[in-house]
Amino acid sequence: MPTPAHASPEAVVHGPTPLREKTVRHWPAEGYTRAPYWVYTDPDIYAQEQVKIFRGKTWNYLGLEAEVPEVGSFKTTYIGDQSVVLTRAEDGSLHAVVNRCAHRGNMLCRDAFGQVKKLYCVYHAWNYNLKGDLTHAAFSHGLRGEGGLPKDFQLSEHGLHKLRVATICGLVFATFSNEVEPLEEWLGDVAAGIRRVLHKPLKVLGYDTQRIHANWKTYHENPRDSYHANILHTFYGTFGLSRQSQESGMTLDQNGRHVYFYTKAGTEKKSEDFDKTSAALRSVNDDMKLEDPSILKWRDEFGDGVSVQILTTYPSFVLHQIANSLATRQLIPRGVGESDLVWTYFGFADDDDATTQTRLVQANLAGSAGMISVEDAAVCEMMQKAMADGQSGESFIEMGGKTLESGGTSKLSERAIRNFWHNYRSDMDLA
Amino acid sequence: MSAHHEQHFRAVENLIYEWARAIDEDRVEAIAELLQPEGRYTVQSRFNHDRGLPMAIIDARSAAQLRDRIKSMRVANIYEPHHYRHILSGVQIVGEVDGVLQVRSNFLVVRTMSLDGDMAIFSTGQCHDEVLITPEGPRFKKRLFLYDSRIIETLLVIPL
Repeated sequence: MPTPAHASPEAVVHGPTPLREKTVRHWPAEGYTRAPYWVYTDPDIYAQEQVKIFRGKTWNYLGLEAEVPEVGSFKTTYIGDQSVVLTRAEDGSLHAVVNRCAHRGNMLCRDAFGQVKKLYCVYHAWNYNLKGDLTHAAFSHGLRGEGGLPKDFQLSEHGLHKLRVATICGLVFATFSNEVEPLEEWLGDVAAGIRRVLHKPLKVLGYDTQRIHANWKTYHENPRDSYHANILHTFYGTFGLSRQSQESGMTLDQNGRHVYFYTKAGTEKKSEDFDKTSAALRSVNDDMKLEDPSILKWRDEFGDGVSVQILTTYPSFVLHQIANSLATRQLIPRGVGESDLVWTYFGFADDDDATTQTRLVQANLAGSAGMISVEDAAVCEMMQKAMADGQSGESFIEMGGKTLESGGTSKLSERAIRNFWHNYRSDMDLA
Repeated sequence: MSAHHEQHFRAVENLIYEWARAIDEDRVEAIAELLQPEGRYTVQSRFNHDRGLPMAIIDARSAAQLRDRIKSMRVANIYEPHHYRHILSGVQIVGEVDGVLQVRSNFLVVRTMSLDGDMAIFSTGQCHDEVLITPEGPRFKKRLFLYDSRIIETLLVIPL
């Protein structure tokens, strides 16, 4: 309704708006076997996560070395909310800088990928080399003795904000922290799952970005959750690619931050438990057949029989091997209720055409249109809607037991999710 | 080019409309009848296409694979119920190679969510189609949907 032009000024209440009372948050007494729903919905929590997690003591995935193959190659991406540029310098070294001019904060790189000789700000022509050092500022000496930067101005003091960079098997990670342990130490035993798959030079096959209208943690929990895989994802069970009755296992690092699961196809073990439970699960439908099952034909390229391996590192990275489909997934939060999931599909540089075609055909199985996994994004969004404002309720995470160790290496366990919340609470100082 | 355009335009335009209408009317299975048995249906981002990257989010390399995908959508996949409305424009036959018509058109798909009624532009882009005139009428030899945004909103389970 339009406000009448003659509205009486007395109707307006003047004076300071009373401050909203600071919400005091208490984690449920049970600890890491519960996650209160406010943690997914509170903008203040989201703001703290940017500082304490994404710009805190964590290594965040930026991309593949193969995406910045030459001197001057760059990739623009994100760590949390922060735009970051990955570059390769003249000496072949990799660098990551905040995508923001040190002068007045303008964005430097506007393309997702490219090839440059230097990083250049269009606003006032400040130039940086590929390592992020300031090399030139336009009119720094002024003109005809007037203007210009102060006499004590030092180029060396005004470089871009540089991040620590480290690589493992062609994956590039960066951190804002000077304290976090070296990358391989941080990954611990989970590094073995990376080395198993990424054993030679890579070749990018393409990208798929999913925008999920849910808090980033609803997705982060998902690939840690081996319990749901064969229940929610009907396609898996129906076509025999992965069933709970197949040989499988799980490995966590020493701090429980990272995890990988594997399943071996063709190792079905009959058991009374499985037959009883599967009768009640909608995912085992022996009548459903594919007309053209060639999409599921895979080659045991790593020679260990593992048909599916899903590896997650805290807080924003997934590496998957689903049959011969290989991809990384980068989780980029975009506000408290939205996240992008960037899938980068790849093969090996020496793949022959038949192998590449197999990987491309199996790309139909995962991602935003993946026949196996479209459900994941749907569940994240349905969870977010069901949490509503997050002021009440909490999730229950006791599958496999109540401790960080309980559940062992069984896939029918939420051990990896308990470990996530344990680390999250510690990093967020949420007692 | 213009001779082909004059001769086949109505039939080709109708073929493109038939595909879209089958999806919008929830008769998705019918699109597989419009694709030749050895035909190919691909949905790829312009982001990948422009960079010469081959990966596509949907790549059905036969009508059988397209039917399998539709079957998976019907009986296996979980998603919030929704439907599409295709708005199509700019159909042009731009050439012919060995009897195969090269066709371009624009698509815009509005997605409406069933539960809450939210409506949004879900996808827009250009179709690169190859059409064969067969005794049964025109059929797609290839359909390539190139979508303009590098992102997909939530998921794509109903084919474009």
